Amino acid sequence: MSALLEIDAVTRRFGGLTAVDGFSGVVRRGERVGLIGPNGAGKTTLFNLISGFTPVSSGEIRFDARVMAGMKSFQIARLGVGRTFQNLRIFPNMTVFDNVSVGAIGAAGHSVWKALARNRSAAETVSAGTWAALERTGLTDLAGQLAANLSYGRRKYLEIARALALEPELLILDEPAAGLNDTETAELAGFVEGLNADGTTVLLVEHDMGFVMSLCQRVMVMASGRKIADGTPAEIGRDAQVLEAYLGTEEGT
Amino acid sequence: MSGELSKSFPRLAPLLALGALFVVAPLVLYASGSGYAFRVATTIGVFAILTVSANFITGTTGLLSLGHAAFYGVGAYTAALSATGFGWPFWVTLPFAGLVTALIGILLALPTMRLVSIHFAVATLGLGEIIHVTLLNWVDFTRGPMGIPAIPGIAIPGLFKASDVSNYFAVAVIAAITVFVIHRLTHSYYGNALRALREDDQCAETMGLDIVRLKIEVFAVSCFFAGVAGALWSHTTGYISPNDFRFNESILILAMIVVGGLGSIPGAIVGATLLLALPEVLRPIGDYRMIVVGSVMFLSILFLPRGIFGEVSALDLMRRQFGAAWRRDGRVGWR
Ligand SMILES: Nc1ncnc2c1ncn2[C@@H]1O[C@H](COP(=O)(O)OP(=O)(O)OP(=O)(O)O)[C@@H](O)[C@H]1O
Ligand SMILES: [Mg+2]
Repeated sequence: MSALLEIDAVTRRFGGLTAVDGFSGVVRRGERVGLIGPNGAGKTTLFNLISGFTPVSSGEIRFDARVMAGMKSFQIARLGVGRTFQNLRIFPNMTVFDNVSVGAIGAAGHSVWKALARNRSAAETVSAGTWAALERTGLTDLAGQLAANLSYGRRKYLEIARALALEPELLILDEPAAGLNDTETAELAGFVEGLNADGTTVLLVEHDMGFVMSLCQRVMVMASGRKIADGTPAEIGRDAQVLEAYLGTEEGT
Repeated sequence: MSGELSKSFPRLAPLLALGALFVVAPLVLYASGSGYAFRVATTIGVFAILTVSANFITGTTGLLSLGHAAFYGVGAYTAALSATGFGWPFWVTLPFAGLVTALIGILLALPTMRLVSIHFAVATLGLGEIIHVTLLNWVDFTRGPMGIPAIPGIAIPGLFKASDVSNYFAVAVIAAITVFVIHRLTHSYYGNALRALREDDQCAETMGLDIVRLKIEVFAVSCFFAGVAGALWSHTTGYISPNDFRFNESILILAMIVVGGLGSIPGAIVGATLLLALPEVLRPIGDYRMIVVGSVMFLSILFLPRGIFGEVSALDLMRRQFGAAWRRDGRVGWR
């Protein structure tokens, strides 16, 4: 399998704090990879670096062999990186359909002239992409609802749908199972597996160990901004450093 | 039955609006027998163009612009100077004023496009003041506080002469075109991209939207129509001075779109009509009328958080604008 995402000695500092510290890692095409680590380890910061939300202090990130340095986050998105947020960031005053359409617009590009001319084919591309993403996430029936009126669980799928409408090669999910009950978590695991089977590479952060260990083929472990382990779930479960990192900061998770 | 009606209503609405604008309103104004009524209606029309364009940038896209009246002033002066200086007719000065205003708007706004929320608002306030001070002090060019008199009215030689009625119809036609263009932009996927900017521009960017380009486009379109409104004001009133384009006019425009409802085109028009017609209707009660107008604004914010037709609450938008200014994770000020 070829490398889709390559993270090469990436560091991000916030003033005196080094949130990500020389992190290196690879996500290969078609993989399901988990990223775990105690609170404040720098996982979300790493996701922000990958999606161009925050610039790197040093190091290099490559997507599909292209160096992403200097790219704005919309360019990275259009290359094929879709993401969700740890603290949900849906567009509350817009309908479910309109929320998801934003991803499709991002993929198709936007033009003020085409909007003025009522360009048919541009509108149809966006509409088709939006309905397809709604279909995949089971939100079709809720398309006309205001996003603010959705239940918490549905909102999580809404965020995923919006990212899927970008037709990303790589989907990065920041704590997708947080706040879901056991049934919902199991359902989500099946859903993510389905996405992956359809050809989307998945990188996800999650604190729910059962979820990560059963869903992911490979797990990277982060502590204090550094990568301390990288391997199959079974290997990670045996790793002494990982156990220490977890026992040292949290009780028994 | 009622379902059918509500389905056919959106198709009918433009026809009804055009009928009201070009048939009913002129007849009523004519029946009232005074040029004064036509002049009030003309002012409402000019402000409707201003509110619809301001609503496009503030209500739909969520960029709080506090300098709209200044761009309106740029258009007014461009039209007035080119009409009095070069003798250009209104159908040349109108688009010219729009283009000049859009260009100046883009040049001035370019450095502010990466400013976040409330910082953008403060920058537009500054831009507005710079423009006003320039109009006031560049005496050789603008005649400063003396203003520009004797701006020709709206007329086509051989066809019709300038009058209160010709002014009304010219403003009505341009207002209809403005609504048509802005409606096309907001009621399309392009409009969804703009609303996403309003809701959360950082997040919208990670969904693939080129937010700086979108902001510049919106600013250009909005300034274009503000400039056109200014040109109409010049030609319909015949005299302009820098005082017509001060900060308090920007606030008045903002109040109109908040009362009408942020993000709604009918709301912008109703807001302009309400806040301009009310003082006229209430003229008999003298100075108390401004208290009534103020109360309408106050009460509508209190009891109609989304205005009359809005898609987003004004207070909520404000809270988010201020909130983003000191969000812990935010690069404060600049992005
Ligand atoms: N914009 C920022 N400015 C300053 N410090 C930041 C910023 N973003 C993150 N940090 C700090 O960087 C460190 C890593 O945070 P991050 O959110 O990446 O952790 P995390 O692994 O996602 O944690 P959690 O599991 O709680 O989500 C924390 O100490 C955090 O306070
Ligand atoms: Mg996190």
